[in-house]
Amino acid sequence: MPIVELSYSRLQKLLGKTTKKQIADLLPFLGLDIESEEDDLIRVEYSPNRPDYSTDFGIILGLEGLLGIKTGAVRLNIKKSNNYAINVESTVSKIRPYVTGIIAQNAQIDDNFIKQLIAMQEDLHFGIGRRRKKSSIGIHDLDKISFPLTYTTTKRDHQFIPLNSNKKLSISEILESTDVGKNYGFLLGNSAKVPIIFDSKNQTVSFPPIINAAETTVTTKTKNLFVEVTGINKSDIEDMLSIVATVLQTAGFRIVSPKIFGGKNTSPKFELKKMVIDSDLINQTLGLKLNNSKIVSSLKKSRLDATLKGKKIICGIPPHRFDIFGPMDLVEEVVLGYGIQNLEPILSPSQTLGQINPISLQLKSVSLIMIGLGFTEALNSSLTSKKILYNMTNRESNEIISVLDSKSQEHTILRDSILPGLLENLSKNIHISYPQKLFETGTVFFQDDPIGEKINFSGVIAHKDATFTEIKSILQSALNQGFDVKIETKTFSHPTFEEGRVASISYNDKIIGIIGEINSKIIENYKVRVPVVGFEISLTGLIFD
Amino acid sequence: MSQVFHEIEKKIVLSLKNNPKQTPEQLQTSTDLSPDQIRRGIEWLKLKGLAIVKESQTINLSLGKNGLESFHKGLPERRLLDLLKNDSKKLQDLQSELGTVFGPAMGLARKNNWVDTSEDKIFLKKYPSEFSGEKTLKQIGENKIHQSELDPADLSDILRRPDFLIEEIIKIKEVELTENAKSIEISTNSSNAIDVESKVPDVIVARIHPLKDTIDEIREIFVTLGFTEIIGNMSQPAFWNFDALFTPQDHPARELQDTFYLDGLSAKKIGTSEQIRKISESHKKNWRYYWDINEARKMVLRTHTTCVTIKHLAENKPDEARVFSLGRVFRNEKVSYKHLVEFNQIEGIVLGKNSTLRDLMGIQREFYRRIGLTKIKFWPTFFPYTEPSFQTMVYNDRLEKWVELFGMGVFRPEVTKPLGITKPVLAWGGGIERIAMLKYGLDDVREFYNNNLNWLRSAKKCQ
Repeated sequence: MPIVELSYSRLQKLLGKTTKKQIADLLPFLGLDIESEEDDLIRVEYSPNRPDYSTDFGIILGLEGLLGIKTGAVRLNIKKSNNYAINVESTVSKIRPYVTGIIAQNAQIDDNFIKQLIAMQEDLHFGIGRRRKKSSIGIHDLDKISFPLTYTTTKRDHQFIPLNSNKKLSISEILESTDVGKNYGFLLGNSAKVPIIFDSKNQTVSFPPIINAAETTVTTKTKNLFVEVTGINKSDIEDMLSIVATVLQTAGFRIVSPKIFGGKNTSPKFELKKMVIDSDLINQTLGLKLNNSKIVSSLKKSRLDATLKGKKIICGIPPHRFDIFGPMDLVEEVVLGYGIQNLEPILSPSQTLGQINPISLQLKSVSLIMIGLGFTEALNSSLTSKKILYNMTNRESNEIISVLDSKSQEHTILRDSILPGLLENLSKNIHISYPQKLFETGTVFFQDDPIGEKINFSGVIAHKDATFTEIKSILQSALNQGFDVKIETKTFSHPTFEEGRVASISYNDKIIGIIGEINSKIIENYKVRVPVVGFEISLTGLIFD
Repeated sequence: MSQVFHEIEKKIVLSLKNNPKQTPEQLQTSTDLSPDQIRRGIEWLKLKGLAIVKESQTINLSLGKNGLESFHKGLPERRLLDLLKNDSKKLQDLQSELGTVFGPAMGLARKNNWVDTSEDKIFLKKYPSEFSGEKTLKQIGENKIHQSELDPADLSDILRRPDFLIEEIIKIKEVELTENAKSIEISTNSSNAIDVESKVPDVIVARIHPLKDTIDEIREIFVTLGFTEIIGNMSQPAFWNFDALFTPQDHPARELQDTFYLDGLSAKKIGTSEQIRKISESHKKNWRYYWDINEARKMVLRTHTTCVTIKHLAENKPDEARVFSLGRVFRNEKVSYKHLVEFNQIEGIVLGKNSTLRDLMGIQREFYRRIGLTKIKFWPTFFPYTEPSFQTMVYNDRLEKWVELFGMGVFRPEVTKPLGITKPVLAWGGGIERIAMLKYGLDDVREFYNNNLNWLRSAKKCQ
């Protein structure tokens, strides 16, 4: 979950009369989890569906609502202007057809705000931008740009000075040598031409979705901003822009909309979305009996517009709340405005009778029987490594099931057997007193159509006098007494076990597992200094299906 | 007070009753036990609070070179006065007669006014009836004598003289019975009784894995709250793990770096054609992207047990249900003290036309009460497939802070509608290791899967 760093004093300054404690107590009720707190600074985690909470200004809107300072939807006060225009050329239609943008004028920008803008931009890119694929954003110093702009394509040998550089680089060089180029260049595929925004003096403004020009970098001296968003879907880029516009307006900027022509592109509108909700759905879902005016005031506290029309409640949803899909999302807005702390839990008697799954019951029986026989229960991961599963136990398989791109070397393949894990456990306990007796039941995996799962049961005994007879007695008695299963053992061969001391286990003439003395070389591999005997059988098909 | 004593203890106690203060050596003689038996017997009695060992020190004295000379020949001053008894004598003659002791003898005689000097002769003035120190010399003689047996005043005179006495410091251990022991009746009759109060060695207790204990406990609580357990596969088509739960195919959570995809494995059959059609339509309409069935076919290790629940509901379409699914889930994470790639999750759903969020909160509060967590509260949160979504915060006394435990919410209509589920579905659940960590007071979640026998053999059963 993304994290934003806030400052109490900034929030207090923006909110007016509030205490630190009031703010700290309310933040969780906006869905913001406090990660850490240090003097004036507070780091909170916000949900990826609320990118408007990536800055102080977005959070202010939420706090104002809950505190009752300002309620209802925030309206973007957009000025139209003929001074700013973006012409879209048809060449972009095949690669990144849509562009939108706003001008934000006349406000102070400090270091902290720049930091938050950058963080917000990154979160937007990652989340709703789907790593810049769907939409990406560029924020520029307006005063370094001459309008009108042209959104077009250019060849890969086109040169400009990109952000964080001091010399001209070609598009190809940017894609090969900069971090952003390397990370996002694939989005452009192999096309000969790439998207570009030029100003009226033919200066490069931006190379979406990769990097801005150095010339338009925002600094603490910047007074006016130009924000552009490009992407592959018109609604997505407008969603992203609405977040930035809302945050900038709250930060004190005057928002101006440019004229955008070409293709299906139009100037951004930022209209409230209308949605109707029935009070029955709200009260049925929450278990409350709220009257309509209470529902309306709760929605307003969640910074939505709400008016009554008969039994129906008409909601107006500001454009930056595109996380609201339908009525159930509005139910959540009602309960947030009403306050979760005001919902009293109730315990009604259950109309249904509970039951443990028969497989769970059988596995519990296996555990209890093994405990009675003096075995300690082990638990190992089902996702393990080739080393543990095959190399150490001298086994082979051409049906290994691997996971892709595991972050951990120890968890790369699914186990097809439990015994190797138990042997590994013995090797980690060689300094602990013997005898050591371990067992485990758990899922193992095999290739099927496409994959099969069954539950196996394995046990090991390690001490200086451990023998085949001992382990066979254990398994035979456990299965006989626990499940009325009478097993037979037949001469067998298996690389993990000592030749001549290993048997297959069968029940009703069907092989269900293996038992024997572990090969002395393998015991040595594990640095265990006493003999080890063990078994593994499939419980699936034996004591349950 | 009835107590069982070892033969050794009996002998020692009896002997001390007769003779209250004895050194271990004296006890050896009086009890006829070996030094080792005495040593052990004293230790046992000390542990039982029946005997105490007092350590003290004394000084033995014997005569040194000058002391012995005086013992044989008399004190220097007596020898001097003896020479003057009959007549006065010249200084030189006395000197040659007495040798080195003349000086000290003369000094004492002058100081005590026993002699006088006239011209070059020394004559006797007074012959004392006794000489201080002589008694001590006689008492010691050629033996060793305890300092305590000597007259301190007489001794102090000798102590001042060089080379008269040799001191030897001796440490003494003396065993005595305590007041408790004095009231004990020791029976000398032999019996079969043993010391039932003495310490014995621990044995290894075989046990169910501590995490399994917590899992079983939670499973049973769910069942007593009216929930029925359903079981499903750990490997699932992405369709049930993600698509059916309204997670768009381009969502970051579906990427390789969060989810384990099974290399090269795709499911041929993932659901009914109606399920597939309706879910794809819901995705296209709400998320605005090209929904790819091949993406939905990819096999993943389930990232939650919710996929089992939703599949059960889609297949059975009950009018009323309380079911839960419990088992391993997987996340492609770096393993650390707080993250595992594989852990246990439980998730229960309540389905019915009258199920409300307040009911679900009540069930949860009851659940936490039964596992011993009484300080709870609810906060809003976000899950992709529920709306509204809450999380429970539980106060941890040991960490002195609120910790996040289970999540809950109502399945989104975008999840239930395409699958033909018409009643509200309230879901709740979360990771089990977190709860087990609270119960066992662990700070490192990896401990559950280390299979460290030291821990498995010592973790307390009832927490």
